[in-house]
Amino acid sequence: MAHLLLDSSIRLWVVLPIVFITFFVGILRHYVTQLIHNDKKVDLQQVSDSQVLLRSRILRENGKYLPKQSFAMRKHYFNNPETGFFKKVKRKVIPKNPMTDPSTLTDMMKGNLTNVLPMILIGGWINWAFSGFVTTKVPFPLTLRFKPMLQRGIELISLDASWVSSASWYFLNVFGLRSMYTLILGQDNAADQSRIMQDQMTGAAMAMPPDPNKAFKSEWEALEIVEHKWALENVEEELMCQDLNFRGLFS
Amino acid sequence: MMKIKMRDKLRKWREENFRNSEQIVDVGEELINEHASKLGDDIWIIYEQVMIAALDCSRDDLAWSCLQELKRQFPDSHRVKRLAGMRLEALERYEDANKLYDSILQDDPTNTAARKRKISILRAQGKSSEAIRELNEYLEQFVGDQEAWHELSELYINEHDYAKAAFCLEELMMTNPHNHLYCEQYGEVKYTQGGLENLELARKYFAQALKLNNRNMRALFGLYMSASHVAASPKVSAKVKKDNVKYAAWAASQISRAYQVRRVREENVKCSAHGITKAVYTVAMVHNVNIIHL
Repeated sequence: MAHLLLDSSIRLWVVLPIVFITFFVGILRHYVTQLIHNDKKVDLQQVSDSQVLLRSRILRENGKYLPKQSFAMRKHYFNNPETGFFKKVKRKVIPKNPMTDPSTLTDMMKGNLTNVLPMILIGGWINWAFSGFVTTKVPFPLTLRFKPMLQRGIELISLDASWVSSASWYFLNVFGLRSMYTLILGQDNAADQSRIMQDQMTGAAMAMPPDPNKAFKSEWEALEIVEHKWALENVEEELMCQDLNFRGLFS
Repeated sequence: MMKIKMRDKLRKWREENFRNSEQIVDVGEELINEHASKLGDDIWIIYEQVMIAALDCSRDDLAWSCLQELKRQFPDSHRVKRLAGMRLEALERYEDANKLYDSILQDDPTNTAARKRKISILRAQGKSSEAIRELNEYLEQFVGDQEAWHELSELYINEHDYAKAAFCLEELMMTNPHNHLYCEQYGEVKYTQGGLENLELARKYFAQALKLNNRNMRALFGLYMSASHVAASPKVSAKVKKDNVKYAAWAASQISRAYQVRRVREENVKCSAHGITKAVYTVAMVHNVNIIHL
């Protein structure tokens, strides 16, 4: 079954309304999230630790621009077996149990409320309201496995799996309108669901990894193996290869 | 559209951290008085920018009015409190300013702006050793703050503690390896410290600054001076002396080239000015205008 001609009123009354509904619900979600959002309190020690780790990383990357002795001094400060920062400093780590810690619990609940709940509600409503007919055709061929998922409400065995129902058009929109949100609401907006789902999958998205000790240990190892290769060894010879370019000096 | 040009100018100055306070006050005051309603939400950041510039020019009236507007709009903001503290500092009421900053820090211990203002109060009062101590403590916690490292290097240079100033400049060079000004300043500090090793290091860093920016004349002079000093030192081997003489000679030739470029350009400028006057005279002669009044 290759060609089906769909009624053009499907386009007018189903495809376009679903796009608008998804779009405006997304914008609404963004503003609601901003209203009930409360600022995360940053711990002074976390900020300090993250900056120390950044400094050590910069030392590894750009240490070659420093004189040999300065580099050695800093490496010694970090890695010395007795008094080195990474060896000496052990942070007390309280594993934050997400179930009992009240602040993360409320955050999780708020996240669920603003993102998952509207998606379920509207998905279900669209499924109920716009069911029983084919909405659109995806441009690439799909296997039969996708039929029960994408063709809810259409019980035709011989229908090509590329013809999908309105529920799948809705989900396509949810993920597809992400770039539209970036255009209108600016970067880092709360209507961007896929990013939030990614965050939930990778775990706690904090400024510091939950275990600073592990971070210190890995940084110590990385710093141990770095050697100092001075970038300024032959700088005069390189400089004197050609005359200096004075263009624009006295304009 | 004058208003849009003024607003864009202010934004450019804000983003590139210019300190042309008199210009900011002129443009900003006009913008606020004439077009306040049409600026929308931009007006708050313009108020902040103009207020700081007004404090620089001791325009206390303008600063006060900006502060009032900001206080009305953002009553509990730490950022506005810091601006109020800066105004107190400008009036030299350091005790009150300190109390204000302490209250901010009690509320939010990670607020870097309040801490830095307290250190600048110490510096304004001339207590440089205490300022140095406080800044060191601050940097122990916030190692990544480059503005603070630069300020500390300046304080150490004023106290003639060049070794520690060099350390601060090394931090800056590490985080900004392509900034020729830090390389040049580091070279200058090493040169001031003196001693053969430091002079060699100075020479290397002057060369690096020149490599990063060919037009840095200070670095070129520094290269010449440090190379000649090393060459003149009695303790060096013959090869090192020969190398340094070569470097100094090259630097000298580049300097004279730079002066030549300047002379040529000046002559061009003079020629064109001369040409214009001549053209005016000729036109005047043709039209029998009395040239005594030209």
